[in-house]
Amino acid sequence: MNKEGKYRIVLIEPSEIVATGIATIINNSPEFKVAHTLSNPSYYNSNDDTDIVIINPTVIDYNERFDIRSYLGCKNAAIVALSHSNYEESVLRQYDECIGIYDNAPRIIQKLKNAIEENSQNPKNDINELSSRERDILAAVAKGKTNKEIADEFNISIYTVISHRRNISQKLGINSIPGLTVYAIMNKLVDISDFG
Amino acid sequence: MNNKETIYNNRMKLAELLASDISLLSILQRLDIRLGFGEATVKDICNRYGISDKLFLMICNIYSFRDYQPEVEALAEKDIRSIITYLHASHRFYRQVYFPAIHDSIHSLVKELDEVNRKLIDKFYDDYDKEVNNHFDYEEHTVFPYIESLLSNKAEAGIKYNIRQFEHNHSNIGEKLSDLKNIITKYLPEKHSSTLMFNILGDIYNIENDLRKHSLIENKLLVPLVEKLEMSHE
Repeated sequence: MNKEGKYRIVLIEPSEIVATGIATIINNSPEFKVAHTLSNPSYYNSNDDTDIVIINPTVIDYNERFDIRSYLGCKNAAIVALSHSNYEESVLRQYDECIGIYDNAPRIIQKLKNAIEENSQNPKNDINELSSRERDILAAVAKGKTNKEIADEFNISIYTVISHRRNISQKLGINSIPGLTVYAIMNKLVDISDFG
Repeated sequence: MNNKETIYNNRMKLAELLASDISLLSILQRLDIRLGFGEATVKDICNRYGISDKLFLMICNIYSFRDYQPEVEALAEKDIRSIITYLHASHRFYRQVYFPAIHDSIHSLVKELDEVNRKLIDKFYDDYDKEVNNHFDYEEHTVFPYIESLLSNKAEAGIKYNIRQFEHNHSNIGEKLSDLKNIITKYLPEKHSSTLMFNILGDIYNIENDLRKHSLIENKLLVPLVEKLEMSHE
């Protein structure tokens, strides 16, 4: 937050028309203030005390879009996509929120509040560390349980199990079940005696 | 990438190709092309060894350019045999050179581990080794003979196998290697000999890369050509 108690925003958008429009809407709100508008992400300084980075995903090379947080080197700020078009779900999932250019002012402000909320619930200090739920699910996978069995055991939907598994593999860089099992045993999430 | 940007053509000297990408050496080795070819061009060499220069350049392009899309229409039915010869030789290298080297270094590595980790890595690698061998066996004993029977017009009537199925069965044998690489890099306890670990990682990286090209040659050259052949038999 800045001196006036407003959340500090950095806006990364190559179109001056769009950038000016969004900044005007944001600056009219009592809670938020656009501190900088950048046309290019390489000008972004990840060490400042930004609360929210709003970025148009097209300014980043396609291959880098899948890990936006490490691309920006951004540890604490919430990251919001400013979308002119549709993106793959895997691209948008990494953002705390997504503003569309046809959103009206109240909706944009609401989304920024959501982003602050969302970001505070997920401390990103060590984004590669598994959460305790993920460790439990990984242990179940290593024991050879199916998605259905895991869903029943944890009382969650199969879709949620799949999404957890995807996140686990992404964090560890391990995709195969034997590989995940090796990790789980090495890190004592399961006991080798479970395997006879 | 636009295919026009690929730089190789059949008037280039083979030595120039190698100078621009040393990984092409493994192609020569598999096609049994001897070194000492002097100033010979790609075309000269291909004529000498009875390989189509178009096919040879496509394989080189697949090796050197990540997004290269071969124009399979330019190839002929007889190129299928050369591709199979190539793939056979490639399997032989994996089995006789690459995998034994990794196996030996993994073996030295696990000697330094405690019992639990030793068993784990050993088992993971042995299972992987079996899987890869099964995969190669399946291709050599089922897929290639099937293609050969199509080529010699001896396909048994009634066998409705098709090459798309093969591509489907073509499980991703690179995935577990990449897992192994990450386990060694990120998760093994830190106390072992670094040189050994760096060597293993280098070996895995090379073989992973080569396997990727190997599957591209299967999926982008062999499968579409055989599909065409299947259609002509229907």
